[in-house]
Amino acid sequence: MNWFSTKKAKAVFLTPALLIYGIFLIFPIVVAAYYSFTDFSGIGKENLVGLENYTRMFGDRLFLISLKNTALVLLCSFFMILIFSFFVAYLLNKSFVGNSVSKAMIFSPYVIAPIIVGIIWGFILNPQFGLLNTILRSIGFDNLAWEWIGGKSLTPVAIAIVFTWQVLGFHATIFLAGMKTISSDIYEAASIDGANRRQTIFLITIPLLKETIIMNVVLIITGVFKIYELVYQLTGGGPNHLSEVLISYMYYTVFTSSRYGYGMAIAVFVLILSIVFSFSYIQISNKRNKRGAVS
Amino acid sequence: MNQKKSTLGKIVFYFIIISISVIIVIPFLWMILLSFKTNNEIINSPLSIPELLNPENYKKALNTLDLLQMYGNTLFLVVIAVFFSTAFTFMSSFAIAKMSFKNNAIPNGIYLFLLLGLAVPVYILLFPIYRINLKSGILGSYLGLILPYIAVNISFNTLLFVGFLKDFPSELIEAPIMDGINLIQLCTRVVIPVMKPTFVTVILFNAIYIFNEFPFASTFLNDTNKYTLSLMASMFKGQYSMDYGAIIAASIMIIIPELVFYAFFQKYIISGMTEGAIKG
Repeated sequence: MNWFSTKKAKAVFLTPALLIYGIFLIFPIVVAAYYSFTDFSGIGKENLVGLENYTRMFGDRLFLISLKNTALVLLCSFFMILIFSFFVAYLLNKSFVGNSVSKAMIFSPYVIAPIIVGIIWGFILNPQFGLLNTILRSIGFDNLAWEWIGGKSLTPVAIAIVFTWQVLGFHATIFLAGMKTISSDIYEAASIDGANRRQTIFLITIPLLKETIIMNVVLIITGVFKIYELVYQLTGGGPNHLSEVLISYMYYTVFTSSRYGYGMAIAVFVLILSIVFSFSYIQISNKRNKRGAVS
Repeated sequence: MNQKKSTLGKIVFYFIIISISVIIVIPFLWMILLSFKTNNEIINSPLSIPELLNPENYKKALNTLDLLQMYGNTLFLVVIAVFFSTAFTFMSSFAIAKMSFKNNAIPNGIYLFLLLGLAVPVYILLFPIYRINLKSGILGSYLGLILPYIAVNISFNTLLFVGFLKDFPSELIEAPIMDGINLIQLCTRVVIPVMKPTFVTVILFNAIYIFNEFPFASTFLNDTNKYTLSLMASMFKGQYSMDYGAIIAASIMIIIPELVFYAFFQKYIISGMTEGAIKG
């Protein structure tokens, strides 16, 4: 028992964090779960309706569209981010003049407010006067100047492109940290054995980075569930909710159409998905920590 | 022969890495170019070179928006929320990692409980916190925004603080030389100075998150005078009915200070923002 571990000290040190965390993070989840079983509409007293909100979700066309869009954003971002960030990390892992400047430039979109990212990309993806279509038209690819945002089908792909731009540096830095742990002896041995660059990447780097890859995968998945500002700013979920993702659709049901009970059921659905993925993440990092544990 | 090949390899390598870096910053450069054009030029001839340094859009933006006040509001929220989220989590982490309990399960349980927040997407908290703020009469006030900001940062901070404190040698704080100083002095004079790098990481991570935060601010604030930068930016087209030129100029005035700050502290910011994930 050390001298400062008095009952009073423990209470004073633990109470503020536990109190604020309890009231503004844990309790709200309980509130969300409670409302998800009710028909609360803001007026009068709510009635308990059991699982009705949850069963309704899977017959709701708009919910299914937003689920499909979220899956599409996930699928596109998944491959783009994983491949590009690995490639960028591979380049940044070499020492060259301007390394830290390149790294800083590639990471910079990650520190900008997502709402501003949405504004910026509106001027790039706008089908009429955006940079992308203007360039495509000026070099004669008029038929490739698609309706990137605001159309019927491409918005999730466009969201994935913007999201990739935003988080590329973040995921590349995580890959880079993993690559730095691979001893240069292994590469030297491989080069003595006559391995070429492709063999080195596929037979040494990637297998040794297995856990870093899994970590990036989980971070991409949970990251996609946090996309809201981009949709809000680029299309507002439109036209006719065709570009809605789970979070933006939940926001709409709650704050625009006042179907609080239903919106909270969607929220709980998203929370469960997120917990499932995060849990697998914690499992993986626990395994890794145990292997490299010092303490 | 070999030398030639490696020179060529170097050229290719530099070409690729420079191309990637430039492609990433093109959106910023594009915005700067557009900011000097008239609304008409932006829509009808996007690729034309603007009349150099025409500040018209910036003037328009500054006339429509009280940027200085929005900066003030945002920085006020950042300073207060970061101070308390850092201080409170340091205290709880110190208790978890360094104070002795009758049963070890108590600090471990509290630790895991405080980490749960890492798996919670903040958006699902919007409506419940809106209700809590409404019922407790703090809806629309900064207090109703600062408290949730503190709450959602606690998990990340706990992860880093407890991670550091667990490795902190206990002999150092239990030594007899420490007799005569109280707990507060022990923390501020002995423990915190050693933890400076961890504090920098935590503070930068929390500050950037709150500076950029949008969903909470947009849901809990309704008084225009209390708006944050992100919230104001979301209303360029609506409430402020600005044209494209002014929107672009305003966006640039919001991100330039942020990017300059980033340029100065990029080493700490990059490691700070990825450390949580790597240490996870």
